[in-house]
Amino acid sequence: MKIRTRLTFWYAAIMFISLLVMGGLMYRTFAPELYPMAARSATRLSEPDEGDLRETLRILLLCGVPSALLAVGGGWWLMRQAFLPLTDLTGAVEKIHAGNLGGRLPIGGNGDEIDRLAQVFNAMTARLDGSFQRIREFTLHASHELKTPLTILHGELEIELLSDSLSAKRREELCSQLDEIQRLAKIVDGLTLLTRVDAGQVELKIEPVRLDEIVRDVFADAQILARPSGLNLKLTECEGLNISGDRHRLRQLLLNLLDNAIKYNQPGGLVEMALRERTGVLAELTLKNTGPGIASAQIPRVFDRFYRGEESHCKAVDGCGLGLSIAQWIASAHNGSIQIESDPALTTLIVLLPLSSPASSK
Amino acid sequence: MRVLVVEDERKTASFVRKALQSEGFAVDLCANGEDALATATTVVFDALVLDIMLPGRDGLSVLRQLRAAGNAIPVLLLSARGEVDERVQGLNLGADDYLPKPFVLAELVARVRALVRRGGETKPPVLRVADLALDTVTRQARRGERLFDLTAREFRLLEFLMRSPSRICSRLAIIEKVWDYDFDPGTNLVDVYVMRLREKIDADFPVKLLHTVRGVGYVIREPA
Repeated sequence: MKIRTRLTFWYAAIMFISLLVMGGLMYRTFAPELYPMAARSATRLSEPDEGDLRETLRILLLCGVPSALLAVGGGWWLMRQAFLPLTDLTGAVEKIHAGNLGGRLPIGGNGDEIDRLAQVFNAMTARLDGSFQRIREFTLHASHELKTPLTILHGELEIELLSDSLSAKRREELCSQLDEIQRLAKIVDGLTLLTRVDAGQVELKIEPVRLDEIVRDVFADAQILARPSGLNLKLTECEGLNISGDRHRLRQLLLNLLDNAIKYNQPGGLVEMALRERTGVLAELTLKNTGPGIASAQIPRVFDRFYRGEESHCKAVDGCGLGLSIAQWIASAHNGSIQIESDPALTTLIVLLPLSSPASSK
Repeated sequence: MRVLVVEDERKTASFVRKALQSEGFAVDLCANGEDALATATTVVFDALVLDIMLPGRDGLSVLRQLRAAGNAIPVLLLSARGEVDERVQGLNLGADDYLPKPFVLAELVARVRALVRRGGETKPPVLRVADLALDTVTRQARRGERLFDLTAREFRLLEFLMRSPSRICSRLAIIEKVWDYDFDPGTNLVDVYVMRLREKIDADFPVKLLHTVRGVGYVIREPA
């Protein structure tokens, strides 16, 4: 119950009690005057007269109740006025989240308690905004700064590999180092992309896109990716659907998801993909895989950066740990979403993307 | 062939020079934008390797000045930022190629080589490496009497590798040219495709043509 409603109830109750007290007092005061005989007899006072009672009730009903109703109505309005700035404030606060800490609450300017609250809140948001900004800049700088030493390491190793006098063992060691440097470079790349996304620096090239064509294309790539692990890949349905989107990013989204479905699967398992229309306004891509399943408590976390499942077998899978975070960004940048349903035998990913309006699709 | 390398990071400049020299290029170094502009306008080079982030005048500004002065030297831009917009901006300013850091050195060398010989060679319709022939018109690959059935992607991959025989093609270059991606999708797609292509063209033959250069990329070459 809102404070406003609660206070109004209390106020109404007080009004009602006042009314009763007023009635009682009135009865005591007026009764002797209306019936002079009664004033002289103490016994008469203690035994209320039917007529006195009715008269008092009549006055109360005719005068007291309307006044009380007016008072309660006024009270409700007063509460509303008192809490209106708070309601506005709540609306404004709701609009502020980690992504737009730049927003500030409006300040009424009459120096009341609410203004004070808004000022304090604004100051807090400003501090938070500053901290977030510094973290973003730090990550962005860090990923840039890491590139120079990585370039140097890679280049110098390559120069060393050019030499003909290397032993096979030494050559193998150097190559293994090159592999690791490239893995680092991939992580730095993914990190740079996500940091730039956070800073609002990545723009999509939106154009009309045939989603089914991209799905078929990426599916063909995935079939090749799945071959070494002997997985059974199926594309059960692929409706012709038009959406507005960034061709490259959509490919990246599908490829990341399929790559995950292939990596986190069991030997000889199944990956099943289907694209169909849902409710006329959405494209629904479902991706089922017979991976080990994700505990429901972990589902929201799989999109976190560098999050790997608890299971030890996941550690052995090669990857930069950013694929799903990137996929989720791409889906939401297209006003879509990714949902995960999982039981121990089957994990289903559902990607929803808005279809382009019929006028623009044809 | 003379190449000007503009790079403020001493170690990077040093191994780029070594790699280019080992490929037979004469290499000059500049560590900042002002020097680079002065050198490039007074000496004739066959190609310019230009880092974007430089102290003082940055690489894009050097490029703009050169092009404004009518200098048509082929330019390969290097950048640690690797952002799509920066790449587009660079190419719009008249750069001929763009390579994000960290790069594979062999790839930088391959790209400089491509810039230098740009336009100088005609593209033959049939590419040959040893007994492997790829007809780019009919899209048929054959080795001796054996004809191979290639998918569109496999054809593009093989064509790309055979266009520069004996030169290492990095994964990034393959991703760019064969898949048209302007980002690394972060999967081992290229490796798996190359593996499949190798099964087709190399598996049944004693002489292997398609080789992996670990940590760098792939190369198609005649046996020594």
